[in-house]
Amino acid sequence: MPNDKNSQKIVDIIKNAARKHSLFVLAYGTGCGAIEIPPTMTSRYDAERFGIRGMATPRQADVLLVTGYLATKTLKRVIRAYEQMQDPKYVIGFGSCTINGGMYWDSYNTIKLLDKYIPVDVYINGCMPRPEAVITGFIELQKLIAEGKADGATKYKENLDWYRANQKKVIKNWNMPDYNW
Amino acid sequence: MTENSLDKEQQIVNHLVGTFQNLTGKVKRNRRIEVSIEKKQITSVLNYVKDHLGFIHFSHMSCVDWLEDGYFELVYILWSPEQKIQLLVKALVDRENASVENADMIWRQLNTYQREIREMFGVNFIGMKGDKEFILEDWDNMPPMRRDFNTVDYIQEVYFERPGREDAQNVRETISKRTGEEIPEVATKYSRD
Repeated sequence: MPNDKNSQKIVDIIKNAARKHSLFVLAYGTGCGAIEIPPTMTSRYDAERFGIRGMATPRQADVLLVTGYLATKTLKRVIRAYEQMQDPKYVIGFGSCTINGGMYWDSYNTIKLLDKYIPVDVYINGCMPRPEAVITGFIELQKLIAEGKADGATKYKENLDWYRANQKKVIKNWNMPDYNW
Repeated sequence: MTENSLDKEQQIVNHLVGTFQNLTGKVKRNRRIEVSIEKKQITSVLNYVKDHLGFIHFSHMSCVDWLEDGYFELVYILWSPEQKIQLLVKALVDRENASVENADMIWRQLNTYQREIREMFGVNFIGMKGDKEFILEDWDNMPPMRRDFNTVDYIQEVYFERPGREDAQNVRETISKRTGEEIPEVATKYSRD
């Protein structure tokens, strides 16, 4: 969204300000990290004061939160959910498993680097990250959105072949629909 | 109730040894019995202990890979709620083209365990119904729980690895240098480098 002078247009500033204050998170959890989401969303940490709240279906959600290790079987579902999401969409990798495999680094059935398969905007490290860390990650994402730098979805569209090649390397029986966003 | 009397357990072992040929059994400890049988006896022994000796509860079934000796060991763990005794039934199966008779008509839940063992160890259960895929999806390699499946080679081939930081330090050593603390021998013995 930045123009020639690498600064945003006024309309983009307004658009991004609106977007960053209404992050709808797809209520989908993998691995053990999903257990950190209820305290983040409920009264103790109350993520809704930042405009973060859960949403039921991929088509209504803005943020895909990948909470922990991904088995290759789960990765297939995550990719499918991600591709169904409408623009603007962002991905947060949550926990050390999404960063480098974490304690499942030598598992025969879990992927180690999430950003080789879907574009990740923000990583939150920790095993598991506490709700404070989760909220810090979301604030980081909000900053990126405000600056117009959270462009994972654009990268995904541009480098779709590279992502597809990586995905098909792990998911052998590729029987998913092709979306033309 | 006497503490160390193993009469009840010994009686069951004697009963089983008397009933089945080639069956060896021993009392492991209070309330635990272990019997080893041949693979063709599995269904008859399981049926017998269920119907006549009160081992009506099936707790677990597992498989042990004895790579060096060349066989799999199937372990059926049963429980008698009346006598409060656990019975381990063990049977050896050749590792090459391992196949055993299906036993899920005795306990229906055995089907789930057998499917898992078929997928993870490649033991074929003759006459068993159920989908070929249980936990894994589109797996075309050696069954992954076999000991000759090299996990590290496999992950290096299939998955990406994030390169480590160049300035990575040994955390324990760095802290001990800073604080002058002595590292115990146990910690160095099991350290990664």
